[in-house]
Amino acid sequence: MKYNVTIKNKSYVVEIEDINARPVIVHVEGQQFEVIPDNNPVGTEVKLEPVTANASKAKKDTKEVISFDLRKPDPNQNSNEMIAPLPGTVIEVFVKAGDIIESGQVILIIEAMKMKNSIRSTRAGKIAEVLTSVNQTVAHKQVLVKFE
Amino acid sequence: MNIAELLPELLKGLANFTLGNAIMITAALILVYLAVFKEIEPVLLLPIGFGCLLANIPLAGMTTAEGIMGVLYKAGIETELFPLLIFIGVGAMIDFSPLLAQPRMVLLGAAGQFGIFGTLLLAIALGFPLNQAASIGVIGAIDGPTSIFVATKLAPELLAPIAVAAYSYMSLIPIIQPPLMRLLTTKKERLIRMDYAPKPISQKTLVLFPIVLTIVVGLLVPEATPLISMLMLGNLLKVSGVVDRLSKAAQNEIINIATLFLGLAIGATMSAAAFLNLDTGKILVLGLIAFVLDTVAGLLFGKLMCVLSGYKINPLIGAAGISAFPMAGRLAAKTANDEDPHNFILMHAMGANTAGQLGSVIAGGILLSIVSKLV
Repeated sequence: MKYNVTIKNKSYVVEIEDINARPVIVHVEGQQFEVIPDNNPVGTEVKLEPVTANASKAKKDTKEVISFDLRKPDPNQNSNEMIAPLPGTVIEVFVKAGDIIESGQVILIIEAMKMKNSIRSTRAGKIAEVLTSVNQTVAHKQVLVKFE
Repeated sequence: MNIAELLPELLKGLANFTLGNAIMITAALILVYLAVFKEIEPVLLLPIGFGCLLANIPLAGMTTAEGIMGVLYKAGIETELFPLLIFIGVGAMIDFSPLLAQPRMVLLGAAGQFGIFGTLLLAIALGFPLNQAASIGVIGAIDGPTSIFVATKLAPELLAPIAVAAYSYMSLIPIIQPPLMRLLTTKKERLIRMDYAPKPISQKTLVLFPIVLTIVVGLLVPEATPLISMLMLGNLLKVSGVVDRLSKAAQNEIINIATLFLGLAIGATMSAAAFLNLDTGKILVLGLIAFVLDTVAGLLFGKLMCVLSGYKINPLIGAAGISAFPMAGRLAAKTANDEDPHNFILMHAMGANTAGQLGSVIAGGILLSIVSKLV
C-alpha cells in the first residue's frame, strides 16, 4: 500500500508492506524502516513511535520527517517466522499448525530467570509449523513458529 | 490473701501497657496484615510484625537477655550470623551468567549505589553522627542483609528502624520505581531492544567467578569479605553441580530458618521505648530518599550508556542496578515489555541486577572500612 505524506510542504512516498505485521515494515524514499504502532482504536490517527535508533539519524528524522524512526530490519528475520526474543525454556505452547492467529496473540511462554515471558505473535496469519515444544531450551533468535 | 491484693497482680500486664505499646502493636498488626492479605514480602514482614507485637507486651520477658528474642538477637544479629547465613542462600539462588555475558553491566551496578553516599550526606546534614549516618546511608544498598551487617557494626542502636526501612521499601519497589522510570526515560528509550551475547558462558567460567571474586574483593576490601564470601560460597554450591543437596539446602532450609529468626529478632527490637522517636521518623524518610536516589542515579547512568552505545542500551536496565535482586531486574524487564510486548530485556536487566547485588556488598564493605577508621 502506497501513501503520499506531505510534511512542511515536502511530500514523501511511504509504502507499507503488511499493516498486520509487527513491526510494520515501511519504505520511505527507498529506505526501509521498522515501526511499532500504538494500539490505537481503528479510525484514530496511528501515531508512529520510534523503535530504536542510530542516535544522530534518529534525531534528524524526528525533527525533519515525522515523530518516528526507525531501525533497519534485522536481516536474519524473515517475516514469515517468529523468533525467540530471549533465551530460555519453553514451558507452554498455545498454538499448533493450522491455527489462525491474530497479531499480539500469546503463542507460547518462555521461562527465563524464573520469570514467565508471554511471547506474542508479531503478525496475523495461519501457522504452518510449530518448531518448538514444551521443556525445550531455546536460544535467542531461534525460530519458534513458521507462518504460511 | 484477699482479692484486693490479688487484683493488681492479675492486672499487672494491663497496668504496664502504655500508649506507645498500643501504637507499636497497631504497627505490628499492619505489618502482619500487609504480609497475610496483601502478600507483600510475607517471608519477612510476618516474622518482623509478630516480633514487634511480642516486644510490646509488657513484662513478658521475651526480649530480655534470657528470653527467646534476646537469645536470638545475641546469637544471630550481634554476631552477624543470620545475615551471613541468608547470603549463602541468596548466592545459591543467583545466576551470574547474564552478568558474565555482558560485563559492562558492572558499571550500572556501581551507579545504583549512589543513593548510599547521597543519603549519608543528607543524614549528616540532619545532625546524625557519622557512624549513624553511614548506617542509614546503607539502606541505599537496597539489600537487607548488607544493611543489617553494616548497621550492627556501626550503629546497633538504629538497627530496628534501618531494617524496617530497608525491608519495607524493598517490598514497595514495584510502587516506587515505575513512576521514576517513566519520568526519566522517553518512550523512545523504553522501546530500545537489546541484543544478546552470542556465546553461552562455560561451566569453567561459572565456577571460577565466585572463587576469583572472593579473593579479589577480599584483598581489596577486607571488610566486605564476610558478606561477599558467603554469597560466593552459595553460588559455588549451585554452579559446581556436584553438591546439589547442599545447594538445595542453602536455597531452602538454611535461608528460611535464618530469615525467620532474623525477622523475629529484628521485630523484637521494635519496642515502643526504642522505636517511637523522631530519629525513627527521619530514618524512614531518609530510607525512602535512598531508594529514590539509587533509582535515579541508575536510570541516568543507563541513559548515559544508552547515548554512548549509540542507542543500543535500553536505559531502563539502569534501574535494575540498585540490587534488590531479583525484583528490580524483573520490574525493568516488565516495564519495557509493557511498552512493547515484543521487547524482552530481562537478561540484560538481570545482568545489571546481579551487578547491583555485588555493588551493594562492596559499597557496604567500603563504607565499613572508611567509617570504622574515622569514628
